[in-house]
Amino acid sequence: MRTSKLFIGSAICVAMISAPAFAADIYGPYPVTLKGYSGDKTNSVSYSGQVGRQLLHNSLKKAIGSGASLDVTMSYFNGSDGELPLLDPKSSDSFKVDVTDINTVSRTNLSGKAYKGSLPGWPGNMTGKEVLESMITNAAATEKGYDSTHGYDYVQLVSKFTMGGVFYHQACDNYLDEKMNADNKPNDKPYKDGAYYTGKEHSWDEAFGYWGAAAHGATLSPKQNYDITKKKNMRDADANGDGVVNLKSEMNYAHAYYAAGFDKGGNTNYYNTITKAFIDGRQIIADANGEKLTDSQRREVKRHARTICSNWEKVIAEAVFKYAGSVYSNIEAVKATMGGNMWQVSGSSAQAEHKAALRKYAKYWGELAGFSLSLHASGVNLGEIGVKMDRLVGMGPVMPDGTQVNGMSNGKFTVASGKSMDSFGVHMLKLQNLMVEEFGVEARNNDKISGISNLAEVLGSSDSAEND
Amino acid sequence: MIEWFDIISSELASQFLNPKKRLFLGYLLSASIIAILWLCLIKRHAFGSSIRAVFDRRIWFSRSSRHDVICFMVNRVLFTWLRPVLVTQLAVATLLFQLLHHQTLVPVGLFEDAGYLVAAISFTLFFFLFDDFTRFAVHLALHRVPVLWAFHKFHHSAETLTPLTVTRTHPIEGLLFTARSAVVQGVSIAGFVFLFGNQVDLLTIFGVNIFVIIFHGLGSNLRHSHISIRYPAFIERFLMSPAQHQLHHSEAERHFDRNFGVALSVWDRMIGSFHHSVDEKVSFGIGRETAAFTRSVWSMYWSPFRFLFRRIMRGRNAPAARRRFHQTNTV
Repeated sequence: MRTSKLFIGSAICVAMISAPAFAADIYGPYPVTLKGYSGDKTNSVSYSGQVGRQLLHNSLKKAIGSGASLDVTMSYFNGSDGELPLLDPKSSDSFKVDVTDINTVSRTNLSGKAYKGSLPGWPGNMTGKEVLESMITNAAATEKGYDSTHGYDYVQLVSKFTMGGVFYHQACDNYLDEKMNADNKPNDKPYKDGAYYTGKEHSWDEAFGYWGAAAHGATLSPKQNYDITKKKNMRDADANGDGVVNLKSEMNYAHAYYAAGFDKGGNTNYYNTITKAFIDGRQIIADANGEKLTDSQRREVKRHARTICSNWEKVIAEAVFKYAGSVYSNIEAVKATMGGNMWQVSGSSAQAEHKAALRKYAKYWGELAGFSLSLHASGVNLGEIGVKMDRLVGMGPVMPDGTQVNGMSNGKFTVASGKSMDSFGVHMLKLQNLMVEEFGVEARNNDKISGISNLAEVLGSSDSAEND
Repeated sequence: MIEWFDIISSELASQFLNPKKRLFLGYLLSASIIAILWLCLIKRHAFGSSIRAVFDRRIWFSRSSRHDVICFMVNRVLFTWLRPVLVTQLAVATLLFQLLHHQTLVPVGLFEDAGYLVAAISFTLFFFLFDDFTRFAVHLALHRVPVLWAFHKFHHSAETLTPLTVTRTHPIEGLLFTARSAVVQGVSIAGFVFLFGNQVDLLTIFGVNIFVIIFHGLGSNLRHSHISIRYPAFIERFLMSPAQHQLHHSEAERHFDRNFGVALSVWDRMIGSFHHSVDEKVSFGIGRETAAFTRSVWSMYWSPFRFLFRRIMRGRNAPAARRRFHQTNTV
């Protein structure tokens, strides 16, 4: 009897302690605080436009990869008035989603929000938006997005740079940056006329939508979050238990998915650090109760914004590090299929093997380039680091015949010849070093340089003033 | 100022508390135990007299030993200051690793499938042999090249040997040793990571190279001591005994330029400089030059430069500053 009372008492205590902690790990709901609002809304959280763009991005990637026409791919980039079928994630028996037409989530587009600064790392001296348009256009002229002449995989290039050039750019160069200033989108006014949320509330929510985490993602492990995006984990995704994954709030997208992927390794905690900073910042805004944020509240909110953007940048740098390692490994794989002959591969099976290796090489370089271009889109000038990074990544992968895209003339790529894949491999090593030294990456997937630093550390200092 | 004091004091302490360093207290303790056991069990001394012999005040507090202490302190301060500008093994390894990608004879990752154990054993063994050989080679050069001998005399001017004598090293020698170490480590790391990938590791005990633990744990500090531990003749043909190294420090001309090796004596046998240990009292130093060279610590640091200056001014007519290298083989 005494034991059972103790047990019940303990259970109540645990419930009392853990329930608020659990709630604090979920993004929303937050009350409507807008002064003078008389409608029936009770939750001020709204980021359906951003979820719409996440779905456009997912579908655009699928459309290019399946060889869709330019009209179709551009409809995912520019938006469409008619029905816009969701291509990814699609419902299956094991993973049911609640959307089939993206326009039912939000009638929106990617092009209007793409980075408008210039991108010297891509041929043609174009803005981020123009680069995406150019990539999508070029992709339509290839077979399923693969340009074997220049080694471009447009599926990856478009996808990875959309994540940076739209989502990361909008969140860190706009909503968490200038929109957190005192007079921009103030908290004592609606975000826009007729809105039920305040300027600061919605600005913060929009940035969260671009981040791409599920609202309950911070209550899950990195593997659970990762598996949600992979559509392997319906049970953990369906937070409200209604038997279907609500794509507005129960899905992980884009960089949030990559963060979970890196965190799975156990060395980092990007997903939770960023998501919890979003939750903490949003709570401060909600606690202001529709009043203008005080200077100290705004300082706190900006501190959370800095945490979000610095860690978000590291997530992208981790991806650059990872894919630099993949490109390095694939250079060796490509060379292995050539049997020492750098110009010609003979035999049909050898040729098939060689083509497959090149396809993979282009895929990884596409991911690398997409992520590295993204690092430019935060609004922070990377200066010398950005120049170094662009030069190491190159405007294209070095191909087995020694060619590499080095610019654009009259809308066509120009190539340099006489380049060495071996030297390009060294560039990848230097790129990994750069990500360690300048961005402090810690997950370090596909690490090709750790062997050296680990051995140097275990051998100890090489300075010696000892005779033998 | 306080920051510098902290850096230097922690640097000094690390010499005795870091098991990667030869002067680690654990190694000094093991060396003392080995020395006492040697005197008790092999030399049949009484336990008390063995203790007194090992910790003989005339050795430990001699003028030469006091010089050792000062040199140790000066060198630690100097190297703490120099460290940021010294080339590190990491820099050498990174550079070489990148350069290796430009050659076409050996493909990267040639032995990537070899497995962790093969990679670790190969690396540890290769590093031990390469490191020991290059120590021997540099030591040989310090004796055979007149300008280098002028600096190495700093070490050989010791008239009593204690474990601290190992740090009685002219800073120019120290730079040479640092460069050697950086190159050896850099080459080994770059080569093995290139061939075996990131799986390469060093076999360690408590985080320290297994060979370093064995070498230092078994009394490497007795090489610089007055306890003349000899190995059986057939072992001395492969491993350098403390007594063999003490013979290297002998001021008797018949012992000049013998036993340059560190852990292994096979290198000396290859070039005919091998000498078994001798069952006789050996006195240390650089003969008639000792008194002038060790007149003051300043003189010890400055003299090699004076020689160098004279050498430059007078060319090869400068007074001979090195020992004669024996060509005869006494194996």
